[in-house]
Amino acid sequence: MTRDVAGIGLGLRYDLATELLERQPKSVAWLEIHPENYIDRGGRYQEMLELAREDWPVVTHGLSTCLGSAEPFDASYLKGLGTFLRDLEIPWHSEHLCLGGVDDRFFHDLLPLPFTEESAQMSSQRLIEVRDAIGVPLALENASYYAPQGPDGLAEADFVVEVLQKADAKLLLDVNNIYVNGRNFDFDPKAYIDKIPMERVVQIHVAGHFVRDDGLRIDTHGEPVPDDVYELLDYTLRKTGPVPVLLERDNNVPPLDDLLSEVDELWKIYRNATGIVDAG
Amino acid sequence: MLADRAKAMQRVCFGAEPSEADLELLGSRERWLVYRDLVRNRLNTVIGVALARTKSAIGEDAFGRAVDEWFDTGSPKTRYLRYVPSELSEFAIPIWQLTETPWVADLAGYEISAWEVRHGPRNPESVGEFAFDKKPVLAAAVKVLRLAYPVHERPTPKKGYEPKPTILCLYRDGNHKAVPQILNPLAADLLEAWRTTDQTVAESVQTVAAAHNTDIGPTFIEKLSTLITHFIQEGILLGGHSPPS
Ligand SMILES: [Fe+2]
Repeated sequence: MTRDVAGIGLGLRYDLATELLERQPKSVAWLEIHPENYIDRGGRYQEMLELAREDWPVVTHGLSTCLGSAEPFDASYLKGLGTFLRDLEIPWHSEHLCLGGVDDRFFHDLLPLPFTEESAQMSSQRLIEVRDAIGVPLALENASYYAPQGPDGLAEADFVVEVLQKADAKLLLDVNNIYVNGRNFDFDPKAYIDKIPMERVVQIHVAGHFVRDDGLRIDTHGEPVPDDVYELLDYTLRKTGPVPVLLERDNNVPPLDDLLSEVDELWKIYRNATGIVDAG
Repeated sequence: MLADRAKAMQRVCFGAEPSEADLELLGSRERWLVYRDLVRNRLNTVIGVALARTKSAIGEDAFGRAVDEWFDTGSPKTRYLRYVPSELSEFAIPIWQLTETPWVADLAGYEISAWEVRHGPRNPESVGEFAFDKKPVLAAAVKVLRLAYPVHERPTPKKGYEPKPTILCLYRDGNHKAVPQILNPLAADLLEAWRTTDQTVAESVQTVAAAHNTDIGPTFIEKLSTLITHFIQEGILLGGHSPPS
């Protein structure tokens, strides 16, 4: 049995868990976790997840099942991941469209894939392989990147669409990543959104990012959501309809009330853009 | 093509010095150096948190050199960020044993053990009652450490630690923190026997007491029962399993 995920959610993170789990704010409709932080781990993380599941539906977002890597998957990891995910009764799991490791070594960061036919072919095959192994629906997430990977910035949208079609996959659409890439590679984020087949979008991410002195934007999830990203979310939700939206905040975590103000802002945009009045 | 790029990314991120040939293959030299910083900073952060006292004892430069050398020759095999400090320690502690003042390797071993206990696995879900005729079940995150220096004593003395053989049990308490407890040699051997052998409590007590030339008399039994009660109260000892008949 999966639990219904709708409206605005928040990433469950160690730094904000104590206050979040104590106060159980009603405006937070669901939570997202990174399975790598919980698999085979006891202590506070186990407790956080158990308490979270008492009050909220949970969705999972993977960090290390690299869709872009050339090496075969670790079958025992995928088996364990599948067991962990099925126990959580999640409606879908998501992973990044990126390269996370080489030769059984992990970067612990999301490195970019070139926007080529070869990458699209490999990533889509791997997506299917993971989806089959874990036994739950799998969405891919568009990533942020900092070094050019194609003829222009919008080529990324074509690349993402190609992988989605080849694998017949769902999409976790990260509007902050699109905005960051748009500013770093000089394209209109709305033109990117316009290329996405909206019927594939099952979830949306929003976050803030860091602007370096030289203007390069880094996807830190460590700043408040900027107005431009809120606006891009509004534009996106008007096309997708009421797709669940997650606020990602991983670093530089502020007091919970600051995050809840952002959640309220997201609800306002969500309701305005989708016409939903009673959720949350 | 993709595989060549991936290997170049790995060398650029983890190599001692990124090569111009790799940077040219990947394109956008400056942006790939951004990736190098991002990757290394994240790993350095978690390593610095796990080994904070070791880092301050050795100094940032020497500590950073060991981490850089590990990046260059190894880099993370684990997908779990929480295990990254353990992999670094496996590489760096033997180096620090040779290059640093003698207690530093003990301190690093103590810190990484505490980190592993704090972030260690879940306890088994169904455990029976403790009994002397059952095989004991320990918590998943319990370690016994045999140290030459009492590096668990804080703060680190300005002149460093004087030698003092110390046996510690590290376990996760009710607040999920790693807590050290001093053990005598017999208690430490018992705890290790409970983790590694298939003997019942009664059998392991006999084996360990014999190895220590200790009679199992009333005083011994009283001390043993105090120890077992304490282990159960602290969540170090969870209960027992009946041995297969
Ligand atoms: Fe995201």
